Amino acid sequence: MIRLILTRLALFVPTLLAASLILFIAINVVPGSAARSALGIDATPQAIMRFEALNGLDQPLHVQYFEWLGKAVKGDFGRSFQNRVDVGPEILKRLPVTLELALLAFLVANVIAVPLGAIAAYRHGHPADSVITTCATILGAVPNFWLATLLVLVFSLKLRLLPAGGFTPFLQDPARNLTQMILPAVSLGLVSSALLLRIMRASMLEVLSSDYIRTARAKGAPDGTVITRHALRNATIPYLTVGAVEFGFLFGGVVIIEDIFRLPGIGSLVLVGIINRDYPVLIGSALVVTVAVLAANMLVDIIASLLDPRQVHSKSGAA
Amino acid sequence: MSLSTEMARSIRWTWRRHGILSIGGVLVGLVVLAALGADLIAPHSPYELDVARMLQPPSLVNWLGTDEVGRDVFSRTIYAARISVEVALVAVGVGLVGGTLIGVFAAYFGGFVDMALMRLMELLFSVPAILLAVILMASLGTNILNAMIAIGIIFIPGFARLARATTMDALRQQYIEAARVIGMSDIRIIFREILPNILAPSLVEAAVAFAYAVLLESALSFLGLGAQPPEPSWGNMINTGRGFMAQAPWLGIVPGTALFLCVLGFNLLGDGLRDLLDPHLRESQ
Repeated sequence: MIRLILTRLALFVPTLLAASLILFIAINVVPGSAARSALGIDATPQAIMRFEALNGLDQPLHVQYFEWLGKAVKGDFGRSFQNRVDVGPEILKRLPVTLELALLAFLVANVIAVPLGAIAAYRHGHPADSVITTCATILGAVPNFWLATLLVLVFSLKLRLLPAGGFTPFLQDPARNLTQMILPAVSLGLVSSALLLRIMRASMLEVLSSDYIRTARAKGAPDGTVITRHALRNATIPYLTVGAVEFGFLFGGVVIIEDIFRLPGIGSLVLVGIINRDYPVLIGSALVVTVAVLAANMLVDIIASLLDPRQVHSKSGAA
Repeated sequence: MSLSTEMARSIRWTWRRHGILSIGGVLVGLVVLAALGADLIAPHSPYELDVARMLQPPSLVNWLGTDEVGRDVFSRTIYAARISVEVALVAVGVGLVGGTLIGVFAAYFGGFVDMALMRLMELLFSVPAILLAVILMASLGTNILNAMIAIGIIFIPGFARLARATTMDALRQQYIEAARVIGMSDIRIIFREILPNILAPSLVEAAVAFAYAVLLESALSFLGLGAQPPEPSWGNMINTGRGFMAQAPWLGIVPGTALFLCVLGFNLLGDGLRDLLDPHLRESQ
């Protein structure tokens, strides 16, 4: 097990380096655009040259990348083009907001997906299964930013039950914080739950038709025990793998949801970076989101291995 | 098994096999019809301002109301279908062609080519899709052509993985061995023998990718990075409607419903096609 964790950690570093390279290339895909974007289309060639020299943009791309990487490893993501503020501390300040939103949304998605997916599989072919899968199909097609708009219309503007935006830190006022996070978390989590529900249903269907479940039932184990103790545990492994991918989608979705609900997180920082064409802000915040997604994938791999010891043996054998 | 149970199962199976496909087909057909026939279907110009008729609720003149500058919401929603279909078509085309070629070449030549190409695909996968799209748009510039390219790049790794897996299967078949024995060149084998035989699963995947492309285009336009006003897009219409939800909710509800039905249609079409073409899945239903 320790060997597997070390292997996954060893793979994490090159993947992260590669992701940073992809982000760096994507941001610099049009040479010279950073200066023109920051200074506007009327900027003189002299002003552009000065700007590029000041920010090291006159260096070849690979030199810029390694310089940026060397500093980023030490937590220095450079300074904003716009207000010369250090990007690293700004990211650290906003990270808890985004993490809270992503975790709450993931919680919402799982609270809906796991029991309903299991019920749909258990009642396979019955009306309950049809109703649940139809709802999941419909939910899966709802754009989260539209759902957010509708939830604001109903719960904030019409019923006046929940705030339409804003953020209070959890430690400052937990109740207010959770009230403000309900709509953003539900907007993100509800849509994500559709795919997770389908995966849970499919995994449970496969597990429920396996021999050991038939044996457990033949021995007289009650349905509740069969489902919770035998079936759910084994159905969780493929579910977790997809769950990690979905967490990545969900983390990407914070860019829009934070904008809608005026949450001061990393997602809204990405947008600030885009609107101001502030590339140090953009690459720093985008990299943090990518790290979170990669870390979630790694964690899930390790948890899946804990749940299914066969994976450890096969991976150890292969290594 | 009783007759009624068997009948119920048969109905369920027929519904599963044809119902989903039919509903998906009808919804997609409506979207394509709106996109192709927008000039004939839309009762008003999508750009025509009429400040005297700002924020009018649905009526006989403006079936789905007017927006904040008096433009007809129904007409703009119809024209927005054109943008969505155009973007999705080009983006999925870029992903399908680029990804399939990469996957086929990786599987066919194997070794270093395979490792290098597939590692590159994994790298692209490591960055969340919407984030990559947003960054590419910021870098390339915000217009609809760049949205097509940015979304297309995101689809390449998915199609590449699929094409690699199906090509691996194809390479074990006798017809490939036969083509090699008669001295066909690698390029001829790839284009004449492999590609036509592995395309079906990729095309099914394209239907699902189409739904995601429409969603991504709308998300980019919602953030102001895709279609630029006054060009109508479901995404930028929902964003505008957000500011008027209290006094004119139809501004956000109408384009959102169109977007939802379009995504639902492509999802159902993809599911239906997959059920139809995958015998393993068919047996397990």
